[in-house]
Amino acid sequence: MRDIIKLSLFLMLVAGVAGAGLSYVNGLTGPLIEKQIRQQKIDGFKEVYPESDRVENESQKYLNASHSPLLKEVNLAYSGTAPAGVIYAIESKGYSGPIVLLAGFDIATAKLTAVKVLSQRETPGLGAKAQERPFLDRYKGKDLAVPLEVSKGAPAKDNQIEAITASTITSKAVTVGVNAAREHFLANFQPAKK
Amino acid sequence: MGLINEFSKGVIRENPLFRLVLGCCPALAITTSVENGLGMGAAFTGVLVASNIAISALRAVIPDSVRIPAYIVIIAAFVTMTDQLMHAFTPALYTSLGIFIPLIVVNCIILGRAEAFANKNPVIPSIFDALGMGLGFTLALTLVCTFREVLGAGTFLGMQVLPGNSPAILMILPPGGFITLGCLLGLLNRLQRKSA
Repeated sequence: MRDIIKLSLFLMLVAGVAGAGLSYVNGLTGPLIEKQIRQQKIDGFKEVYPESDRVENESQKYLNASHSPLLKEVNLAYSGTAPAGVIYAIESKGYSGPIVLLAGFDIATAKLTAVKVLSQRETPGLGAKAQERPFLDRYKGKDLAVPLEVSKGAPAKDNQIEAITASTITSKAVTVGVNAAREHFLANFQPAKK
Repeated sequence: MGLINEFSKGVIRENPLFRLVLGCCPALAITTSVENGLGMGAAFTGVLVASNIAISALRAVIPDSVRIPAYIVIIAAFVTMTDQLMHAFTPALYTSLGIFIPLIVVNCIILGRAEAFANKNPVIPSIFDALGMGLGFTLALTLVCTFREVLGAGTFLGMQVLPGNSPAILMILPPGGFITLGCLLGLLNRLQRKSA
């Protein structure tokens, strides 16, 4: 009996010291991690919609249960007091996990400005190419008249996005996400053209 | 001489991956790019050095009957710290290694070194043991990564080294990990048998 108490006390002590060490490191890195996540997002906003004075998260106003579950955030990019663009945070289902992406739309021209992948778990060397420039640039400045499609090989029509070789599922996942945002954008920010 | 021996045995004679065949899970899963291999090796070495120091320093205090839970708590604490430090200071690497940083906790090499070396030896030799094992594991990972990245993606550390853009994709997928590790283990066994 005495042994059990001694051993438990010892383990408690070890756990206590470990816990103290952890809370110290957490206090040290916590703010840094938070800052980094925020900064990453701000950089992402700038990348998909460069010309804005400030970006506000207005998901509460614009998102509800009736919208596509892929849409996670609606951010409005203001220039002066009027919203000039909309930046969507989207979570789409890729080949091996969620793909989180940002898509920027311009209200005046009703065009897709750019797409950026924030995080993904796709196959390195294949689907992971979705986060690289050559693929994402295919979305730049796309017109929104019809939903985007994925094409294998060179695109024949203007609304087609050439898939990454051997990664059609990933390419489709990104496109599905962008299309969900397109729908929401047209319904909420382009009343005349709907 | 003794210390150098403790250090060098981990690199070749008792290389954790190629000779002891421990730590195969990360060696198969994250070795898709050389950068991952180096990052994983560095994180692993950091944790191993810290845990070897702590366990060796406490070896007289830790009661024998609860040594394993005590080791696990110590190792888990260091891994969580490494996880947070990497998240704060090397976010890109943190994202690409993903779940495999927390999984260092159950990496059998670390527990193995605690049990086989640190709890029987003083602090200084334990540090050398950890550094040697860490370096050995890092080199082994990097070797596996090099084959997989060069053959599977045609790049080395992100730089294009093979011409053309249709490399052997299989090498970067999970089977490529098994094939590479298997071939390397076989090759090293053969080399050793010859020299023996």
